[in-house]
Amino acid sequence: MTPTEQSDPRMQQMPDTQPMFARVLRASPELVRDTLQDIRSRFREDVDEDALGRLELVLAEVMNNVAEHAPSVVIGRLPVIHLCVVRHVGGLACALTDDGSSLPAECLAPRNLPLATDMPEGGFGWYLIQDLTQALCYYREGGRNYLAFSVPFATRMDGRPLS
Amino acid sequence: MQFIVEDADSHLHISVTETRIDAAIATQFKDKLREIVNRNRKPVHLDMARVEFMDSSGLGAMIAVRKGLPENLPLVLLALTPNVERVFRLTRMDSVFDIRAA
Repeated sequence: MTPTEQSDPRMQQMPDTQPMFARVLRASPELVRDTLQDIRSRFREDVDEDALGRLELVLAEVMNNVAEHAPSVVIGRLPVIHLCVVRHVGGLACALTDDGSSLPAECLAPRNLPLATDMPEGGFGWYLIQDLTQALCYYREGGRNYLAFSVPFATRMDGRPLS
Repeated sequence: MQFIVEDADSHLHISVTETRIDAAIATQFKDKLREIVNRNRKPVHLDMARVEFMDSSGLGAMIAVRKGLPENLPLVLLALTPNVERVFRLTRMDSVFDIRAA
């Protein structure tokens, strides 16, 4: 691509341009909240409320996990999250990286819900993430976590993603 | 953190004024609500109509409040919005809470 093409204003109005959101933030619950509200504003006109609600919940769980398990004693500051969300034909593609703690392998293993009658106060986060996403993948490289997944637009009757 | 508390003789009607029960306020939410319900010792109707978003930290806070109440004191959740209802449904916690339309 030549510099002329790059700055051509017509390039920004191509019909197949998809809305996206990108941000770099410190992993604090308050900044996670602000970011989620900004994501909602960004996609409000292009994504239906049901998918937007599922996206918001998944991203809250992922980013709050980074904040909650931050090794702040070791590195002396909050981890930094890089987040990118792009609308595709079938759903919202999400990619996150962070320099927080390594993700325990059991987070990504198939998991069951804690028993409701035991009234557990935690342990729901990764269940919700797995339940609401497709094509979840993770790797760690150079002290960073890389996580990618998709939040589909269409769901089955019970609200879970089509498989 | 504000709750609107009305004493309706047979029960306490508590309206949540926060629009988000998330990791940023879950602990505060739990502590304040437990203080109110423990002081009054009455069945509680919690009006959630204004809550637009709740994550698993918020759910954990709700469960802690329920556990802090004696088992014979009902905690009824009223007017859940779709995003809040989804969290209860997907975690099957809708089976242990008394959830009503309004």
